[in-house]
Amino acid sequence: MSESILLTDSNESALEPAVRQLDGWTIERVKAGELANAVAARPGVRAVVVASNSPDVLRAVVERAHSCGVPVVVACADDTARRRAVELRAEEWYRCPADAAEIAQRIRGAVGRGSLGSGISDDRVDRVEYEQMLHDSLTGLPTLPVMIERSRSLFKERGELVVLYLNFVRYSKIEEIYGWEKLDAVLETTAAAVREFLDDTALSTSRLMVSFTNDDDFIFFHVPATGVAAASENEITDMVARLQRHVGGRIEAQHGEDIAALFDIYVGRAHVYYNPKIRLERLIYRGIREAANAARSIEERERGRRVADLRSSLRDRAVYVDYHPIVVTETQEIFGYEALARGVMRSLRSPEVMFDVAAEADLVWELSRLCRARAIEGIETRLQPNELLFLNVDPHDFSDPAFNEDEVKYPERVVIEITERTAIKDYPKFRERLRIFRERGFRFAVDDAGSGYAGLGSIANLEPDFIKLDISLINAIDTNFIKQNLVETMVKFANDHGARVIAEGVERAEEFKTVKDLGVHLVQGFFLHRPLHLPLPSVVETVKR
Amino acid sequence: MPNAKSPPILVVDDNHDNAEIIRQYLQMRGYSITVAHSGDEAIALFESVRPAVVLLDVMMPGRDGWEVCRIMKQHPTLGRTVRVIMVTALDEWQDKREALQIGADDYVEKPFDLPTLAATVQRNLAMQRAMAS
Repeated sequence: MSESILLTDSNESALEPAVRQLDGWTIERVKAGELANAVAARPGVRAVVVASNSPDVLRAVVERAHSCGVPVVVACADDTARRRAVELRAEEWYRCPADAAEIAQRIRGAVGRGSLGSGISDDRVDRVEYEQMLHDSLTGLPTLPVMIERSRSLFKERGELVVLYLNFVRYSKIEEIYGWEKLDAVLETTAAAVREFLDDTALSTSRLMVSFTNDDDFIFFHVPATGVAAASENEITDMVARLQRHVGGRIEAQHGEDIAALFDIYVGRAHVYYNPKIRLERLIYRGIREAANAARSIEERERGRRVADLRSSLRDRAVYVDYHPIVVTETQEIFGYEALARGVMRSLRSPEVMFDVAAEADLVWELSRLCRARAIEGIETRLQPNELLFLNVDPHDFSDPAFNEDEVKYPERVVIEITERTAIKDYPKFRERLRIFRERGFRFAVDDAGSGYAGLGSIANLEPDFIKLDISLINAIDTNFIKQNLVETMVKFANDHGARVIAEGVERAEEFKTVKDLGVHLVQGFFLHRPLHLPLPSVVETVKR
Repeated sequence: MPNAKSPPILVVDDNHDNAEIIRQYLQMRGYSITVAHSGDEAIALFESVRPAVVLLDVMMPGRDGWEVCRIMKQHPTLGRTVRVIMVTALDEWQDKREALQIGADDYVEKPFDLPTLAATVQRNLAMQRAMAS
């Protein structure tokens, strides 16, 4: 009943003695062209030896055989055949001519491997996926389930565990503005800095981990050493302040002050005591939730304080403007400046933070009015007569009755930047407002162009004079050919529509060279200039030189 | 002749004829090629082949090219260095944004011509080498 047939198209004479060495096997020969069908049609086939030189025959046989769970041995006349056998994932191969013993051994090997089944490949795929879930590839940190397993016995033994939850508040903002690649890089820096810091503290036996892969919250477990008390509230508060300075410093050194200004960290703490009645995982999960909530309530308190800061800043008009040069790509001459409003108070230094706080406190129009007034002051006092001022205006500001086309003395020197990120609700009304501004001489730029999926259609609708490419398209553009293609498309589009393209966020020489080669008209970024604090005419002259 | 020193390239296409055409063409140009016919097979081969460049068809039954690219790019050791070229009819802005989102490095438009494909492979190998050094 259990016959074992070796099916083959080979007429090698060594095959018969080879088959005799296999217990109870028989050999059946068919033509090469019929081999694939015969494998499927003939029950009892336990292996196939393919000798045909035709790649089509070989492929057909391997596929049919594998779909029936039959292993394949390839008799290879040359190197090409051997490579093909490996690629098609035949179980075994041998070089012709071969002696009977070798052929028998190959057939045995193929049957042995075949019996492991196609499951091998599935297992490997599963393993790759599992491994990616257990460790965060960005930071190299283990995920929570791994750490719980590793800390289990230690926690039981010492009876207590302090969970610290590190909440980095504005990391989502970094991603929104600069794209995920930037946040990945910042997270890497963060993890390295946190680890470095921990190595130097009394908590060096603590274990750092991430809750989920690619997430931006970090957790650490501090299990006190035997005979030593767990870190006290005061020690932790002190440690957090030092940690904040350390990580903030690293981020500023590696990613610049704009990103560092967004950085803030809130640490929540929970003390967990071992209880044999309760599952250890649940104890830990509850501890983590408690610590996360504690971090959040600290954040809430801090937010309240910032709203108060903002109110007093508005009252004292405590906002100043940095001017970030925009230069002509070809000549590197200064073409204009983007006005970047910043709070005088340290907590409101970053414009993103300032406007976030304003949005929460419903003070956006008030803040916008102040920032606009401050920026416009600079046209007369700070800019050269031929230079333009690029002014960020939120689409919602157009509904502010205080914002009108008469607000500015030199409208022809102002370019209004409108972000593509904010959805415009009442489009016809919005366009009508733009028209009025345009008639007065204002020009328009679409900011963050290409940040969404919207593509070129929505840009065309605004009929902009300038198109400011989204920073995420410029970041590492020299190494990514898809970004290059998108920017090329945008430049072509701009040239067809009489607009000029500005590349923002150019930080490296390679990025500058790439955007220049792609025909981008204007460039802004740290590679050429940092934002200038109050660029008096003398400063401008120096920069130009 | 295939060059043993040429870094490995993984060609992923569920269409056997396509894969075979690409393999032969690139092999003739001295590249060392491994072929996978599905997303799962590509992932299973990824660690053993350790490709410098992956030529990845997007439209495949089962795990499609996007998913395979995402998994490869997240690989703890190989993810940073591997260059992934998507083979697809990406003509829309949206598709290209999608490709950037999952970390793809380049793309070849379908239907492709072989010289363009080889040039794309070449420029990504060069970039990979430049970034490694």
